Amino acid sequence: MVNPLYMFILFLAFGFLFAILDKMGRKVTLTLFYGVLLANFIIPLYWIWGIFSGTTSGTEISTAGFMAPISINLRFGFEEIIIVLLVNFLGLLSAIYLSDKFKKSSINGMILFMVLLMSIDGLVMTRDIFNIFVFLEILSIATYSLIAIEKNRDSLSAGFKYMLAGGIASAFILIGIIFLYRFTGTLNLDDMIGKSHLLVGKAGFLSLYLFLFAILLELKPFPANGWALDVYQAVNEGLVAIIAVASSAAIFFVLYKFLPLVPSEYYGYLGGVGLVTFFFSNLIGLKQKNPNRLLGYSSIAQMGLLLATLSILKSFGSNDLIIFQIVGGLFINHFLAKAALFWLVGIVKKNDISAWTNLRTNPSLLIFLGVFILALSGLPPFPGFWAKWDFVMILASKGSYFSIIGILLASLFEITYLFRWLGFAMKKTDSTEKIDLPISKEFPIAISAIALLVFSVVTTYFFKEFSFIQILPLVGLVLMYLFGYLPVKVKGFVAIVIISTYAIKLYSLVSGLELFFAAILVVGSLVQIIATMYRSGKREGFYPFLVMMIIAIGNLVIAKTYLSFFFQWELMTIASYFLIMKGKEVTSAGLKYIIFSMGAAYFIMTGFAFAPVIPAINLSLINTIGMKHIGILSLSLLSIGFLIKIGSLGFHVWVPDTYNKADDDTTSYLSSIVSKAGIFGFFLLAVAIVKNASLDTELLLTIIGWIGVMTAIIASIMAAFQENVKKLIAYSSIGQLGYIILALSAFNHIGWLAALNLTLNHMLFKLMIFLAIAGVIMRTKTTNMYEMGGLIKKMPWSYISVLMGIIGLSGVPPLAGFGTKWMLYNALIERGWYLQAGAALFASGIAFLYLFRLIYTVFLGQAKPEHKDIKAAPLWLLIPQYIAIAVVMLISMKPILLLKPLSEMISVYIPTNLGWVGDKLITVNGYWNGSQVMNVTMIIFGIPFLWMLFITRKVQKVKQFNIVFAAERPDRPETTHFAHNMYAHYNKAMGFLVTPKLAIKFWDRVSEWISSSGATLRNFYSGNGQTYLLQIILYFIILYSIMGGK
Amino acid sequence: MILTTVLGFILIILGIWGMLTQKNLFKMVIGFSILDSGIHLVIVSLGYIKDKTAPIIDSDILANNASSQVVDPIPSALVLTAIVIGLAVTALMLTYIIQLVNTHNFDSKNMKDPLSITSYEELKW
Repeated sequence: MVNPLYMFILFLAFGFLFAILDKMGRKVTLTLFYGVLLANFIIPLYWIWGIFSGTTSGTEISTAGFMAPISINLRFGFEEIIIVLLVNFLGLLSAIYLSDKFKKSSINGMILFMVLLMSIDGLVMTRDIFNIFVFLEILSIATYSLIAIEKNRDSLSAGFKYMLAGGIASAFILIGIIFLYRFTGTLNLDDMIGKSHLLVGKAGFLSLYLFLFAILLELKPFPANGWALDVYQAVNEGLVAIIAVASSAAIFFVLYKFLPLVPSEYYGYLGGVGLVTFFFSNLIGLKQKNPNRLLGYSSIAQMGLLLATLSILKSFGSNDLIIFQIVGGLFINHFLAKAALFWLVGIVKKNDISAWTNLRTNPSLLIFLGVFILALSGLPPFPGFWAKWDFVMILASKGSYFSIIGILLASLFEITYLFRWLGFAMKKTDSTEKIDLPISKEFPIAISAIALLVFSVVTTYFFKEFSFIQILPLVGLVLMYLFGYLPVKVKGFVAIVIISTYAIKLYSLVSGLELFFAAILVVGSLVQIIATMYRSGKREGFYPFLVMMIIAIGNLVIAKTYLSFFFQWELMTIASYFLIMKGKEVTSAGLKYIIFSMGAAYFIMTGFAFAPVIPAINLSLINTIGMKHIGILSLSLLSIGFLIKIGSLGFHVWVPDTYNKADDDTTSYLSSIVSKAGIFGFFLLAVAIVKNASLDTELLLTIIGWIGVMTAIIASIMAAFQENVKKLIAYSSIGQLGYIILALSAFNHIGWLAALNLTLNHMLFKLMIFLAIAGVIMRTKTTNMYEMGGLIKKMPWSYISVLMGIIGLSGVPPLAGFGTKWMLYNALIERGWYLQAGAALFASGIAFLYLFRLIYTVFLGQAKPEHKDIKAAPLWLLIPQYIAIAVVMLISMKPILLLKPLSEMISVYIPTNLGWVGDKLITVNGYWNGSQVMNVTMIIFGIPFLWMLFITRKVQKVKQFNIVFAAERPDRPETTHFAHNMYAHYNKAMGFLVTPKLAIKFWDRVSEWISSSGATLRNFYSGNGQTYLLQIILYFIILYSIMGGK
Repeated sequence: MILTTVLGFILIILGIWGMLTQKNLFKMVIGFSILDSGIHLVIVSLGYIKDKTAPIIDSDILANNASSQVVDPIPSALVLTAIVIGLAVTALMLTYIIQLVNTHNFDSKNMKDPLSITSYEELKW
């Protein structure tokens, strides 16, 4: 093995030689410079290889011919090797990024850069506390000097503030060191840890505190970190990547080395410092528009999170492996993503995140931005996801409620500003401005992204032992991207092949309720892929995420553990987010979607965290979740998560916007498929409750039931007053999902039967309506219903589809909707929920209003002149609709085909009290014969219909406006087709129920309050170096009085 | 020697006070210098042992009983390093001030004092 001291020798020797060698020309020095950086990257790499192949386990180097503790010793163990490797890797990449600077500016830049890297390596390796001080000072001086190379006012003033803070930190550390030496008689860290019993009393604590505080200060704790933010904002991005990531990493590692010396009762305070920093940095970051400073806030927050996880886990006494996994995961996530984001900012050169649209001229950069933002947000499959999950699980097991709330809330803030940025880059008004991009600048970013992805795959596949089918969503994503260059129709076909193959595989894995949900979710999706082929062009990025989403949703059903369920859930969220972002003017709707989805995800995560672990047997969650008693806290958290996802009353504010702005076929997916994932979640809960019913769960079910009813009523009223056809259906969707959870929470056999039926029906009916309306929107190029009208003659096939859909949704005979509603009322009456039954009936009445409005304003009445040449909807859209209609007709004529097997599936959980006589279903309250209802209705409908055809065979066909209306002859369609503000009169009667828009106001207030508190808090950062200094001193005193006050 | 330690701490506090109250950049650096000197004094004073001599092993002090005759040499070694580093940082601070003043816009009408820390508040929030 190469002695690691050679790294120092290389850096230093060439540092001195460069001044002479540069006389031979810059090419020589540049070659040597990159040669040294590469060599110093290879040395730790070689050691890593040695460790994994078992030939070495690291080494300990003494200096000056003495052994430690007499001499200064350097350790090069596993942890040190990893960090040195990462630091030198980053150094190499950053140097490549900065190559044009190094080519032009003086030789000093290169020398200082090498000195900087050397000091970081030294800081990581040394085991001597005075040596720590020396390396820290070399690091600081090299950094200050590098900052000053660019002689602009901002970086100089930031650098000066940095020096003031650094000066204070080094003063504290020196005093701390000398007192530590005074009490223990040694400077060697390991020796000192052995003598830590000597560090007692106030004096002993103070000497520890002085050292610790200096290290903490270098980690930029809130609010003593204004100087650091200025540095992040003003200094060249290539250098900031090193300062924010590599230097911080080394200092964090110093803290890690120093922690054994600190009595464990203080770990909690350090955790508090970290949490406060994580929380407030992200809160203040919400207001930030400048990308450099935004990343500064995010960096500081991430370092706070690292500090919090390390100290909290230490205070719990967790074992080293767990600490290594969690802290290491967060660390590597931050390390690779943050550095690359800084580089990216340097390439794009825009001072405002809303101006990042020029990124779109370079798709690869946009993909990288997406990768890094997903990683920083802690989404799968990136390392931050696993770390966050594990950490929350541990916090929950220790009952640290406040830490969980703080971390998740702050993560939500972080997601908000990161995704706002991503949304701007993806969707804000187009820009054709090209980005000037030499390969040397893109290369480091690409390498970081690849390293991050490789690391993620390795973690997911090997360490977390996820099977192939579990990572299939990601495989599907990549696979479909390979077909990116093909036209839509071919890609659609490929997607159908992939999903069919997956469906066949899935079919072999499921049974019972799983089979039912898998069929609804996957087969329903499969059919709709045909509809997506109605677009022309390439539709880049659509099919990859579609395939990913469908497989993730299918995998939800067969997930065996909480973690794999949550993993698929998050993949589904990511994929659906990117599908939504394909729409036009979708920036704010997309942001709302991701915030609410992530909020839901965090509720689900904590719900799982507080639930007892399910025994690992080879069965999916729906079979095993009832095995353990799940407490009411966990059930409630999970319910809230799923309620947000299905957009129940209060949480519905994201739904209309998202459904409206997404592409029309995406909306169909969101409504018919994605919302069912939430329903599946509710079924999981229901199964868990049915095995462990108690008084608490009774109350929970009653509340959920009422939420369901109220959602149905309010959403129906709101639907009735919409002018936008997609919003109308969106509200309808919200209302229908309310019925489903109402039926489910009735908690009797027929209630569950109704819920399952409603789930299937809603999928079919919404598929029909949304796809039909997609065709209408495509042809009329508007979403306003009053601009449509009279389309029945031009688009008869779409009309039939919508007609079937509204008959089904309204629950009138003969279609399946009737039976389902009948079962719902039965269930509610059987349960004794008469009031809810009445309210549900009322909601159904209102549903007629919007359903009638839908069909009347769009298809009936007078056609507009501009629509006279309109064509029927494309066949691609019609095929799925008519497949759905066929299924609807089948289950309407022979409901027993579906109901009997469903009833059997349910009787596993709730014994049946239903009877079957032929086609007749007998309940406690009555009976229903679906087939007979169908026959009777058809006859009642058929005879007058035939009679009408018979008597109208000779009537004169009139043209449009060949009429007289109230003694006037109308000349415009608008005068006879009353469509705008159609229910003005009902609005007077019921409008007061929905006009206050309480939910929207509530969420607006919440976001307003959060962002203004962020705005107030950031006044801390006045920009005055002296104020920052004062904050540091005050922070020192306050933290001391909190920690050492006892 | 306790007096030296106390004096050192007084210098430290004076130095910090100077850095916190003086708006002039040069005076802030002077404050930093005083702080630094105070720290050096504290370090040396902690290593001193009464009635012992300098830790130089020669004909007067033999290696085998040196530990009973000399003061602790480590703080002296540390303080040398600290002085060098302090010097470097101070020099760098002064360089920064010169560069900062160079970036100052002397033409504008309501010109701020180029040597005041309050003139460099453009970066904030």
